[in-house]
Amino acid sequence: MILATYDLWAFVSDNQEELLDGLLNTLKVSAFAIAGAFVIGLVLGAARAHRIPVVSQLTAIYVEVIRNTPILVQIFFIFYALPQLGIVFDQFTVAWLSVMIWGGAFNSENFRAGFQAVAYRYREAGYALGFAPFSTFLNVTLPIGGRIALPSSINTYISVLKNTSLMYVIGYAELTTTSLNISNLTLQTTESLTMLAVVYLTLVWSLSALIRLLESRLALPESR
Amino acid sequence: MTASELAIVGEPDGANGAGPVVRVEGVRKSFGSNLVLDGVDLTVAAGDALVIIGRSGSGKSTLLRCINLLEPIDDGRILLEGDEITGKGVDVSRVRQRVGMVFQQFNLFPHLTAIDNVTLAARKIRKLSREQAERRARELLKTVGLEEKAEQHPHQLSGGQQQRVAIARALMMEPHVMLFDEVTSALDPELVGEVLIVMRDLARTGMTMLVVTHEMQFAREVGDRLVFMDEGRIVEEGVPADVLDNPSDERTRRFLRRTLQLPESLEELTVNEEGVEE
Repeated sequence: MILATYDLWAFVSDNQEELLDGLLNTLKVSAFAIAGAFVIGLVLGAARAHRIPVVSQLTAIYVEVIRNTPILVQIFFIFYALPQLGIVFDQFTVAWLSVMIWGGAFNSENFRAGFQAVAYRYREAGYALGFAPFSTFLNVTLPIGGRIALPSSINTYISVLKNTSLMYVIGYAELTTTSLNISNLTLQTTESLTMLAVVYLTLVWSLSALIRLLESRLALPESR
Repeated sequence: MTASELAIVGEPDGANGAGPVVRVEGVRKSFGSNLVLDGVDLTVAAGDALVIIGRSGSGKSTLLRCINLLEPIDDGRILLEGDEITGKGVDVSRVRQRVGMVFQQFNLFPHLTAIDNVTLAARKIRKLSREQAERRARELLKTVGLEEKAEQHPHQLSGGQQQRVAIARALMMEPHVMLFDEVTSALDPELVGEVLIVMRDLARTGMTMLVVTHEMQFAREVGDRLVFMDEGRIVEEGVPADVLDNPSDERTRRFLRRTLQLPESLEELTVNEEGVEE
């Protein structure tokens, strides 16, 4: 009986405008969060790899807190607890901010590992040519270590994208929230979940394909 | 490569050209409780090729690294073209721009092609345009016999080729002195010659050079002066052929005997826990 009424296409076409808005919100939140996680990871990862005082210790605490607490708790904290302290964000800001903070923590570990994997002799060659320490970072450690960090940071970006679906818990109308809200009214739960699976699969596949293309162009020559 | 082709490479400025290029005065250096340099005095005149020999751990590599400020010294001072470079407030990066260094492990940047390795510092530090830098880099690659390999990455080159690119990379900054830190020690025997030939030609252009090496033939034929180091001190110094053929110090004699540089048949030698039996 239930199978007889299964109509994925009807679900999508009847609600296409709402679903499209949801998809765009998912993409928007992911783009903000991934860009932010990239910058956070790069800067804090470099600070930790070079043991910059204070920043390095604070980063370690940040990473430990984020890695050892559930992301759901982090989202709730930003959405419910911070307003009690007088810090109020709208749903969209909470959405990208929470996954960005989460992704930034993991990504700073990715970059830290990448920069630390750059053999000291390359940096020394940079110094010997007359590069100052920061220029050595920009011209030697960053291009070599960034390439080493690329595969693991890609995995973090993919997790960031998938984690945007958790915004269901704060009711932000990204794709998952939109689709589940519709099916709650129309009882098309199976159609809704099938559609979500297909769309996320396509999104993540495309993102991976795009970044792997980038990766193959950037990879250190000997590992190509 | 001919001497005239390399002659465009930077030489000491006229103003400072008269005095020694490098002057090391009473330099001491420890790593923890291990005294590596124990009061080293050394003067290298402009255009001289000074060869430093000694067993591993004698402090010869550390001495080179101190001159390039890659290691801080504990005591004494080092002068480059008359300027004290080991004092406070010295712009370390600017000093290093006047000092070229070539390493045992080549240390070419793995993500860059040969020509990009050569041009990187010139473009970023000397602010040459890519076009200017590449023109000069191709000349230098030609002088080390590698113009055909300009677009190759380091891993596509042999050790000898990588080391020649590394020499071109150092020369690109127009250094006033070149430091060679056991640059043939990591090479297969058949690749040693090509690197030594490039160094010989460079010495003939009048480049001031400090060469830490185990290549005694190079020391003899190319070196203007030779220094033997032992336990952080300079034990003997002189014209290479004199030191190698008639070492005056017992430690030099023992070292040369062990490295089989003295006419000695392998047949007559035995080994103990110290190495070659005296």
